[in-house]
Amino acid sequence: MKIGMIKATGPFERVVHWCVALSCLLLCFTGMGMMYHSLNGLGTMVGGMANLKTIHNFGGIFFAISLVFTIGMWWKEAGLFSFPEDWQWIIAGGGYLWHVENMPEVGKYNPGQKMFFLVVALFGAIMVASGLIIWFPFSFAVSLVRMMYVLHALGFVIIFAFFFVHLYLVTIGAPGSAPAMFTGWVTKAWVKKQHPKWLKEMEEDGTLVVYGEEKCSKKGRC
Amino acid sequence: MKKELVKLIDLSRCTACRGCQVACKQWNELPAKRTKNFGSYQNPPDLQWNTWTLIRFQEHEKKNGKVNWLFRKDGCMHCTDAACIKVCPTGALYHTEFGSVSMHADKCIGCKACITACPFSVPKYNADTNKIAKCDLCYTRLQVNQPPACVLSCPTGALQIGAKDAMIKKAYARAEELGGDANVYGDKFVDGTHVVYILPERADVYEHLPVDPKVPLEIIIWKDVLKPAGLLAAGAVVAGCFLHYITHGPKTPDDETTCEGGNKS
Repeated sequence: MKIGMIKATGPFERVVHWCVALSCLLLCFTGMGMMYHSLNGLGTMVGGMANLKTIHNFGGIFFAISLVFTIGMWWKEAGLFSFPEDWQWIIAGGGYLWHVENMPEVGKYNPGQKMFFLVVALFGAIMVASGLIIWFPFSFAVSLVRMMYVLHALGFVIIFAFFFVHLYLVTIGAPGSAPAMFTGWVTKAWVKKQHPKWLKEMEEDGTLVVYGEEKCSKKGRC
Repeated sequence: MKKELVKLIDLSRCTACRGCQVACKQWNELPAKRTKNFGSYQNPPDLQWNTWTLIRFQEHEKKNGKVNWLFRKDGCMHCTDAACIKVCPTGALYHTEFGSVSMHADKCIGCKACITACPFSVPKYNADTNKIAKCDLCYTRLQVNQPPACVLSCPTGALQIGAKDAMIKKAYARAEELGGDANVYGDKFVDGTHVVYILPERADVYEHLPVDPKVPLEIIIWKDVLKPAGLLAAGAVVAGCFLHYITHGPKTPDDETTCEGGNKS
């Protein structure tokens, strides 16, 4: 680790993130193997479509548990908007879509990330509920089960499309972001650019952890 | 398509002998199971994974106050626009060259989607094998130019099988001959079924017989709208990201774009 890097996430946060992320991807691919006949080959890879369905069903349970932790962990930081600054950010397109002179300063999570979190939380919950009903269709009215197929497919359309936005931003779209979820350490330059308000807040609160420096006590005294 | 067949069921000729029910079990090697008497000659009470065809018994009061017994041979209708085939994730359910809906049992993964989708409630689930089962119009018999077991067994001529056009023509002629409320059921919905009834009474008189069966709207939204939309949306997003990268560019930390940052050359 380079000296001067800033701690962005803790190990628990990263573990929960990867639990929900990898199980979500697993569900996307096993689900696609069942939705698209041309991808039935994914079933062959695991010894048949019946196994693919088993992996999908029990992977869904793992996803559901991970989702509970995800929502519990990020609800306060990423689930609530703070107006008016978040509104200004949305109007400015987050500075991602056109040139913006004075971007409002962003805290730990920008409104785009908040929206992403809320979509994952809402549609994740919808996927879990509809998935369970599809898994045990005899316990429910046929008309309800039919609607659940629609919801389950709709959730896939939204989540799968959002996944690519997420992938783009953390790789080449906003370079320097990915280490936050791998090592947990990011560069100061990245925090200044992406979350300047958060940097200030941490400096003021004395919660800023810089690699190679002794941890500052509260009120910034080291 | 080799030859589209239609099994014609003339309910005015059915005496509810249930020979078809037994012949079906025999040919398809379907075991008998303990059943429940629910106060009717109808047995078992509903179609089962081991009962692919069933004579339904129904007491019906006519307009003149007289009660008559209605018999209806229930089973797979072999739809052209078959909801079960539409939802089957593995291609286990498929159309044969005769237009009937058959099934590769080894491909079935027991997802039960076809049970939910079928407008006639025909596919039934076998928990022992984790597969569904239903009538396949005796596909193995059709392949060697033999009639389905039920048709072969029928002593009254209520069941017959033949070329689609000829059977439908016959059905209308017979309905006209019967007169009254007699009508032909099956050729006008789900792009035509490969089992067609001649009903002596109006369709809404018969229990468990949908008057206007169709592929459920939810299934159409799922398979014809959202299924392609999933790939289109993902493709559009990937294209959008690429366009963003080459037009607007990435959001890079400021000092990495200066000599002191990332480009230390």
